[in-house]
Amino acid sequence: MRSFVNVNPRDWKDAVGKLRQLNAVPAGGGSDLLGMIKEHLVEPDVLVHLKAVKGADVISWMTKPRGMFVGGLVTLEELSSFDPVRKNYTVLAEAAESVATPQIRNVGTLAGNICQRPWCWYYRNGFPCFKAGGKQCFSITGENQFHAIFGGGPSFIVHPSDTAPALLALDAQISIMGPSGTRQVPAAEFFALPSVDAARENVLAKDEVVAAVRLPDAKPNMRSTYNKVMDRETWTHAVVSAAIVLEMDQQVCKSARIVLGGVAPIPWRLPKVEALLAGQRITPELAAQAGELALEGANPLAKNRYKIPLTKAVVRRTLLGLAEKA
Amino acid sequence: MNSLKTVGHPTSRIDAQKRVTGTATYTGDLRLPGMLYARVLRSPHPHARIKRIDLSKAQALPGVKTILTHENCDVIWGSGDMRNKRYLFNNPVRFVGDAVAAVAAVDRHTAEEATGLIEVEYEKLPFVLDPEDALKTGAVEIQPGGNLSTNARGQHEPETYRRGNIETGFAAADRVFEDQYSSPHINNAQLEPRVAIAQWDGDHLTVFTPTQGISNCHTEIARDLKLAPEKVRVVCQFMGGGFGNKNQNHDFELMAAILAKNAGAPVKIEFTRKEDFLSVHGRWPTKQYYKIGVRNDGTLTAIQLRGYSGMGPYRKGTGGIAGIEIYQCPHVERMVSPVYTNKAVSANLRGPDYPQGVFGLESLMDDIAASLKMDPLEFRLKNMTRKFQDQTPYTSIGLEDCLRKGAEAFEWKQRWRAPGEKTGPVRRGVGVAMGSFGSNLGRSSAVIDVDSHGMYHVHVGVTDIGTAAKTTMALIAAEELGVGLDKIDLISGDTDRCPYSVGESGSRTTVQTGMAVVQAAKELKEQIAEKGLPPGNDVLTATVNLNPPALNGQARVSFVAHFAEVEIDIEMGHVKVTKYVAAHDSGRVVNPLTAESQVKGGATMGIGMALHEELLYDRASGLPLTAGYYGARIMTHLDTPEVDVLWIQTDDPYGPFGAKTLGEPTIIPSPAAVANAIYNAIGKRVKDLPITRDKVLGVLA
Amino acid sequence: MKISRRKFVEGTGGGLVATTVPLQAQTAAEPPKTTIKITVNGTVHRIEVEDRWTLAEVLRDHLGLTGSKIGCDRGECGACTVLLDGKNVYSCSQLAVWADGRTVQTVEGLAQNGKLDPLQEAFIEHDGPQCGFCTSGQLMSAKALLNRHPHPDRDQVRHAMTGNICRCGNYNHYVESVLAAAGTLSADARRKA
Repeated sequence: MRSFVNVNPRDWKDAVGKLRQLNAVPAGGGSDLLGMIKEHLVEPDVLVHLKAVKGADVISWMTKPRGMFVGGLVTLEELSSFDPVRKNYTVLAEAAESVATPQIRNVGTLAGNICQRPWCWYYRNGFPCFKAGGKQCFSITGENQFHAIFGGGPSFIVHPSDTAPALLALDAQISIMGPSGTRQVPAAEFFALPSVDAARENVLAKDEVVAAVRLPDAKPNMRSTYNKVMDRETWTHAVVSAAIVLEMDQQVCKSARIVLGGVAPIPWRLPKVEALLAGQRITPELAAQAGELALEGANPLAKNRYKIPLTKAVVRRTLLGLAEKA
Repeated sequence: MNSLKTVGHPTSRIDAQKRVTGTATYTGDLRLPGMLYARVLRSPHPHARIKRIDLSKAQALPGVKTILTHENCDVIWGSGDMRNKRYLFNNPVRFVGDAVAAVAAVDRHTAEEATGLIEVEYEKLPFVLDPEDALKTGAVEIQPGGNLSTNARGQHEPETYRRGNIETGFAAADRVFEDQYSSPHINNAQLEPRVAIAQWDGDHLTVFTPTQGISNCHTEIARDLKLAPEKVRVVCQFMGGGFGNKNQNHDFELMAAILAKNAGAPVKIEFTRKEDFLSVHGRWPTKQYYKIGVRNDGTLTAIQLRGYSGMGPYRKGTGGIAGIEIYQCPHVERMVSPVYTNKAVSANLRGPDYPQGVFGLESLMDDIAASLKMDPLEFRLKNMTRKFQDQTPYTSIGLEDCLRKGAEAFEWKQRWRAPGEKTGPVRRGVGVAMGSFGSNLGRSSAVIDVDSHGMYHVHVGVTDIGTAAKTTMALIAAEELGVGLDKIDLISGDTDRCPYSVGESGSRTTVQTGMAVVQAAKELKEQIAEKGLPPGNDVLTATVNLNPPALNGQARVSFVAHFAEVEIDIEMGHVKVTKYVAAHDSGRVVNPLTAESQVKGGATMGIGMALHEELLYDRASGLPLTAGYYGARIMTHLDTPEVDVLWIQTDDPYGPFGAKTLGEPTIIPSPAAVANAIYNAIGKRVKDLPITRDKVLGVLA
Repeated sequence: MKISRRKFVEGTGGGLVATTVPLQAQTAAEPPKTTIKITVNGTVHRIEVEDRWTLAEVLRDHLGLTGSKIGCDRGECGACTVLLDGKNVYSCSQLAVWADGRTVQTVEGLAQNGKLDPLQEAFIEHDGPQCGFCTSGQLMSAKALLNRHPHPDRDQVRHAMTGNICRCGNYNHYVESVLAAAGTLSADARRKA
């Protein structure tokens, strides 16, 4: 590997200060970052080792406001095995658990997972595309089997994170640490479409990091799940995934949050489907309708048309399965 | 079949302890004093002429010792191409991954950095990716003379085999079926990436390298570097797999040797995983057009194959498409064109000519059975081979038992329904495919010493790529010598201490080197009977260079039938293998424990070939997109079903105790069995490997 | 984020010229180094490492522990798996400096007082390794599992070890080995040596 210096910040202020240095990048679990350095996709001079920040991996209930505080450096393994998260924010536990392998989850962090760069094979193989600061998207006329059916243009990547759709579905707040302190951004506003800035996937500035995620209070009648479709039984990014949160009142769905992964450059919320379900019993027919409605406005590319029936099925099944859970 | 004392009993590997304690030394684990590290700069273009190379910045980097390019090195790698001159550094470069320069430096980071400082000016040339495109008029000429690689007689013509008269065969048919199939370039992907260490001692060269064949590697290094054979030594004590891409010598071994000579220090050359995927070789992609004639009662009358194999730009492999031999049929015509392309080089990967050919053939045979409303098992029992190429008797043939007993173990009759009959969101289906693989006798050598303690030292030129060859040879020696395994000391993996072996490829080691071991043991026993055990530090030695007996006009072949059940979620296009039975006739099984591992491993590899693997290229740029373990979607623990193994041990009069080939037959019918199971489940066929989700959803739409 | 060092010149027709753009030479300064304290298989090491060295590199090249293998150096195969504070991780994807003050267990640390770990015995008896290159990693993932769940079932084993690729495809035997070591292999599947 190219040489760099690793610095261990004491606290968030120190971390941000170090990030402002020329050519510094944040390091969390490091799995993806080291791979990208070895592939010459990034060439930092400074790695800011965020795991050194005291308290960055705290996970605990909050009282003001009520909810759960998840430090950005909490590992995916800790997140998925923490009982209060499994019980109250199941979608997030399941999403974290679905990432890669035990070895990666043992070190990989929540912040790292939501800030992960795309796994588009053009980007990862060094093509000078939008994501690399270039002016082209090679997938449009190329191999686009795994690319976006929603929200694409000028780049057609799909967002690679599993926890991101879960956080959106939970209406989480992202705590961003920057030079002037913390700012809270709703998860829905954290991720940015390529039409906003094709080179980036989120709103973080170069000297900002995700310090924590705040989950709103878990309601007792809330149930949630994450369903991930993969090519290979494991250890792959989602072809399509669905993060669903339902607030139930007996058999009736009071409100729903449905966010898709693997279909768009950002986690893809389905507000029309959510509106369809509000106040309804989720029957097989309604779930099927939801599946159909979910694909309204889909714009497939030459090789990813199969994602349309696939996504319909994923939405329908995940919804019904969750609604029918005892 | 009679029971033996040592052979035929499940035995743990004699070197297993080393492998499980991390004390087995693989080539990459070696460090020699003063050793330099080397990395290779490779072409980022599929086809380009090198106009200019500027090494100045790289040479100025502290720690860089010496650099090779086509400008200062014109060594030809003989084994890299059996038709054309293939240099270590070629100009033009003809595939993404073709070597451009090799740098030796004090450590690997410096070597890597230096490769990044080499300035190369390329003139991009047109490129072609597919064999049929490469044969069209106007396609760029990759090798002089044209893109259809020449046959053994130097003609630009397809490799052809015929028996009977194909038109007569079609005329005799009641029905004629035609279809086409394709398979992609896939990679050996063995866990140990390529590495080699070259060390000079005066004019004597030692090369430490993970090779499947120390003997041929040794001969070829001497040849390519123009050294006397006795000045070269090849060493490999442990290696981490190869599946066919670590046989013979390799360009990077030669590069290491030349770098070491120039630098006056040992040089270790290391590959990244991507380099291993792109710059060694993989299985040739194929396009297969079959036309098959059959009578209404299901009897085959004609089989015709027109096939095209993409060889990459160098002819390192045969490009064959095999499988037809498994069927009895009076009229056969096979015309296979090995064609140059600008993709990664294609050569041997487990059963090189077979699994892709069997996929195409068995898919169509399966369709024919369905059309005739025949159980595909019955169709195969009817038409399976009885004599090799319908004329030469086999030394032993257990194919029928493989099919019948395999079917029984699999519960075929209970599980099979006509294809497409299933309904519902999740559908199960079963498929069968059969295969065969040559088990020829051949020349090999063995040396056995016995010392005064009654300890036998067996010297064989094996390296054990994971097949347990060391253990197999030890078992054979122990059996013939009539002693326990604890009396055997196996010496392998060093050309200074071991005699010729054909190399662990073509699944020949057990048979060929095994026979040499048997003969050496026999001769040693005679010596001991005559003279008794030697005194003091003396040894008695038997040296055998065996030229095997003739087969008396017979063919020696292993047979196999695999049965797969899949469960398909049709809305998701998700295929899961839920049951798998592999029935093998490999004659006598020398070590059922390790042989079972081979079968399970081959079947698993075949499932991956059926469902996942492909080296995908971007067509516009000619650049590969999926090199690496993640991109190739290599099978994991969770992808792998339980594989049940059934031995059909035919009594074969040849080979060591009647053993026949084993390692490669294990993958041969596997992709076809899975493909046929998928067809059975959904009544629709995917004809392009890999059978991925999008393709399954595509045929169901 | 810097652009890939490969630059393609846009254009049509043949004769396109492309030049690889050389990376900036880093020769000006020595690579940054840090002294770390790391406990490996019970032994404490104080060692100066370059910040860019991975844990795998330090174990293999600088501490002489070559039992952990490098199969891909990208965290895509698992051959380099070691235990870091008891958790299985890809040592190729961890910097050595990040292991400062922490505990590492490698395959060399499995046998205790010359006695093989039950997992190692089981791997031998049930033929876990074929070529053996993935074996160290498989062992360490299995060890991490049995440390937490001493009596796993087949499914738990497969899930726990799924981050370890075996291209020889010997997954069935690895799973059998782990179940045997854990005493949960059913009687009829138990192998006679």
